[in-house]
Amino acid sequence: MIFNALVLTLLMAVGGVRVSDAAPVRTAHVEAELVAEQSALIPGRPNTVALRLVMERGWHTYWQNAGDSGLPTTLTWKLPEGLKAGPIQWPAPRALPVGPLVNYGYEGAVLLLSDIATVPDFLSGKTVTLSARADWLVCKEICIPEGADLSLTLPVIADAAQVTRDPRWIDAIAKARTSLPRPANEWNVTATGRGSTVELHLAPAAGQDSAASIAGSHFFPYVEGQIEASGVQSLTHQGTDWSMSLPVASQRVGEFRRVAGVLVWGDASARRALAIDVPLAGTVVAGSTAPALTAPPLKLTPPASGADTTLSLGTAIFFALVGGLLLNLMPCVFPVLSLKVLGFATHRENDAAMRHHGLAFGAGVLVSFWLLAGVLIGLRAAGAQLGWGFQLQSPAMIAALAVLFFVLALNLSGVFEVRQFVPSSLATWNAKNPLLNDALSGALAVVVASPCSAPFMGAALGYALAGPMLSTWIVFTVLAIGMALPYVLLAYFPAWRKRLPKPGAWMLRLKQLLAFPLYATVLWLAWVLGAQLDNDAVLRLGASLLLIALGLWAWQTMRTGGARGWGIAAAASIAGALAVGWPVVGTSAMDAESNVAKRPAADGPWQEYSAARVAQLVEAGRPVFVEFTAAWCVTCQVNKRLVLDTDAVRDVFARRKVALLQADWTRRDPAIGAALAALGRNGVPVYVFFRPGKEPLLLPEVLTKQDIFDAIDTPQSAATLDAPLNEQAPTSRLIPSTGG
Amino acid sequence: MNMKQHMLVIASALAFATAAGPALAAAAGQPAPDFTLTDTHGKAVRLSDYRGKYVVLEWTNPECPFVQRHYNTRNMPGLQKEWGTRDVAWLSIDSSNRDSRDYKSAAQLNAWMSAHEGSQKAVLIDGDSATARLYAAKTTPHMFVINPEGRIVYAGAIDDRPRASSDETLKAKNYVRTALTAATGGATVDPANTTPYGCSIAY
Repeated sequence: MIFNALVLTLLMAVGGVRVSDAAPVRTAHVEAELVAEQSALIPGRPNTVALRLVMERGWHTYWQNAGDSGLPTTLTWKLPEGLKAGPIQWPAPRALPVGPLVNYGYEGAVLLLSDIATVPDFLSGKTVTLSARADWLVCKEICIPEGADLSLTLPVIADAAQVTRDPRWIDAIAKARTSLPRPANEWNVTATGRGSTVELHLAPAAGQDSAASIAGSHFFPYVEGQIEASGVQSLTHQGTDWSMSLPVASQRVGEFRRVAGVLVWGDASARRALAIDVPLAGTVVAGSTAPALTAPPLKLTPPASGADTTLSLGTAIFFALVGGLLLNLMPCVFPVLSLKVLGFATHRENDAAMRHHGLAFGAGVLVSFWLLAGVLIGLRAAGAQLGWGFQLQSPAMIAALAVLFFVLALNLSGVFEVRQFVPSSLATWNAKNPLLNDALSGALAVVVASPCSAPFMGAALGYALAGPMLSTWIVFTVLAIGMALPYVLLAYFPAWRKRLPKPGAWMLRLKQLLAFPLYATVLWLAWVLGAQLDNDAVLRLGASLLLIALGLWAWQTMRTGGARGWGIAAAASIAGALAVGWPVVGTSAMDAESNVAKRPAADGPWQEYSAARVAQLVEAGRPVFVEFTAAWCVTCQVNKRLVLDTDAVRDVFARRKVALLQADWTRRDPAIGAALAALGRNGVPVYVFFRPGKEPLLLPEVLTKQDIFDAIDTPQSAATLDAPLNEQAPTSRLIPSTGG
Repeated sequence: MNMKQHMLVIASALAFATAAGPALAAAAGQPAPDFTLTDTHGKAVRLSDYRGKYVVLEWTNPECPFVQRHYNTRNMPGLQKEWGTRDVAWLSIDSSNRDSRDYKSAAQLNAWMSAHEGSQKAVLIDGDSATARLYAAKTTPHMFVINPEGRIVYAGAIDDRPRASSDETLKAKNYVRTALTAATGGATVDPANTTPYGCSIAY
């Protein structure tokens, strides 16, 4: 033994043998070498060696599952007889956003550990050369397959006492070891499939009540095609238990009977990983949209504020009731509300009849909401990412609403009288069914309410659509009750009605006046159409409306004693309106998505939202404010004018270096739909404030400047605004030192 | 208020709402989302125009080493020719975003394809990556086989050998050939979904 060591020392002294190997191999973007933990191989025990890869800045190589694209690094050993290499031990990976995709891998440097087992009687005293072929795919914007033949020459020394650790690699290897996945012994882990998500539940095992916090965890599955790599994972914490919701892959591959992978948390300097491999209970279906191209690879915990997904049914019902009530005051419903109240002032029938009117109106609202709920449930079951106001994502719907509002407005302006417009037989029938009239005006109120989202409604709807069908139905029912309540009460309590002003000449003037909010609504809808399609569509709509006005006027002229020719002119005008408008109505949402260049929604300091961008900015230490908006969403526009576009708010954003991202849902976009779903919402507006190291903060739907100031945690006095939260430039990425 | 006359308008408005189609994941068994793109000769190509035929969608990018391997070995052009003669419409799509360095003009794509004997029906330019998003396409190559009824019957990798060398490329089990052979022969496509491999699409 001593002799061996002596010989070795001698050999080393004369430089005949190099305990270390040749210089690292440099490829275009990577420096690769084999390194050993110790200065010699010790027979009979595992000896740790590692493939050390140092990537050029901005380039990455891959984990054992590469994620959305890429290939894992491979290591093929050529070893002398008596030596055997174990599999690669992969340190905790990182989620690397590449555009909307997410890859799993390493940036900076990584050590892929492998244990070399030796037979106990492996001849000591000699030197052995460990050779390996390493192949890796290194990617930045492009991917380059690279590889190298590497070798490492080590002496074999039986006496462990004479073997020292290689000081160059002690730290790096130790660090790689700490980020290797440990068995999840202190946890009871279960996995349950719930449709398009898998819920991973971790409860401390018996006697492990002090199990470590896994806050900020991200789950990395061992194989692709089960969990969507770029999907949002939400982690919630209840007592000592943790629940993680994982999105099922939209392109499912192979069997999915076990949930196997690693749970990773901690920052770059101290990453920890837990190995998970549990059977999957319940059932899963492929993720119905493509969250791959959507949602942030963030450790996104649903915000713990009052309005979140953990709403109880009771709270949701309360929110729905208040939301429904407030809906009446939203700008899109207000004209209809006025018309209805006007209706109450006109009708001076007996109390019983009035009650029937009120109930019929309420029934109309209720049935319309049920219809809406049914359509929503159906479409969502079919996999669409839809929410409140979804029908306004269709240009055809916008055009139809514009025509509806315009015809209503013309009627109020007195351009044509309704009774003459309806065939006499139908008019008689209607007169016999006055309650149908009320029910239909209830339905109309719901149709015009759809572009609006009142306060409290967002949270209630988020709850409704995330939960089972029954809860959707309950919340929609309560919303309808809330919306109809003022009219029904007014109908039931004659005393309240008496406070309404007496009918008189003022009513005609008010009726004519109320036409103008409706014209304004038409103007706004035309603007929305322009945002969805183009200028041509707006012109077509305008021409169509003009012809409709002409047609209705001609019709009225004929009915009030004009020649028969007026009727023909009216029919020709309406036909012309249809012909001119048809291309707009015929434009499917699909065309709108694929044919028209995306609206340059993001202007000024606002950038276009992408989940990856959020992740990137937050990782770089920047606070990020995301506005989920749509041109057809009135509340969104109001918030924009009154809060977001004001100098005070802009100034605070600029001083605090808040990155501003805008997600425009004017047209259907599964990516934005999925991102909203991850926040427990399914309609706009939604305002979220992402802060590095903190949970994302949801702001109210009806924003105030103070909400923004509070969110940024900034007193409004200008004196304290000078200290930015974070000076880091948005492009400076943390170089992870995973294992190296 | 007299609003009965608007019954029809309301009814048709609700009909529009229901007619709006859901966005489904692009996986085997699902309807293939329709799209219209301009090809490298300036012609508008609409997927649904090929209803009644088998269609292959091939996501491609001449800058990608994986794509280069399948073209340099004539694997991809050979497959295009083989199925093109059997009336399969092969559409190659370059979804490199026009802001990315991989973006190619129509002329550049034509030049590259003719140098590599590309024999597809058309090469489509998806400069805003919208169609790639529609299909959740991840890699180049990423392959989809669509049946005459417009349903996806295969989605995933070109073959089972992500790491094959050039010499081994033609020996791999080609999933697109397997899928087309099975589907056109009335058999079940197996595997119908695989994990695609290659370079990330330059979104």
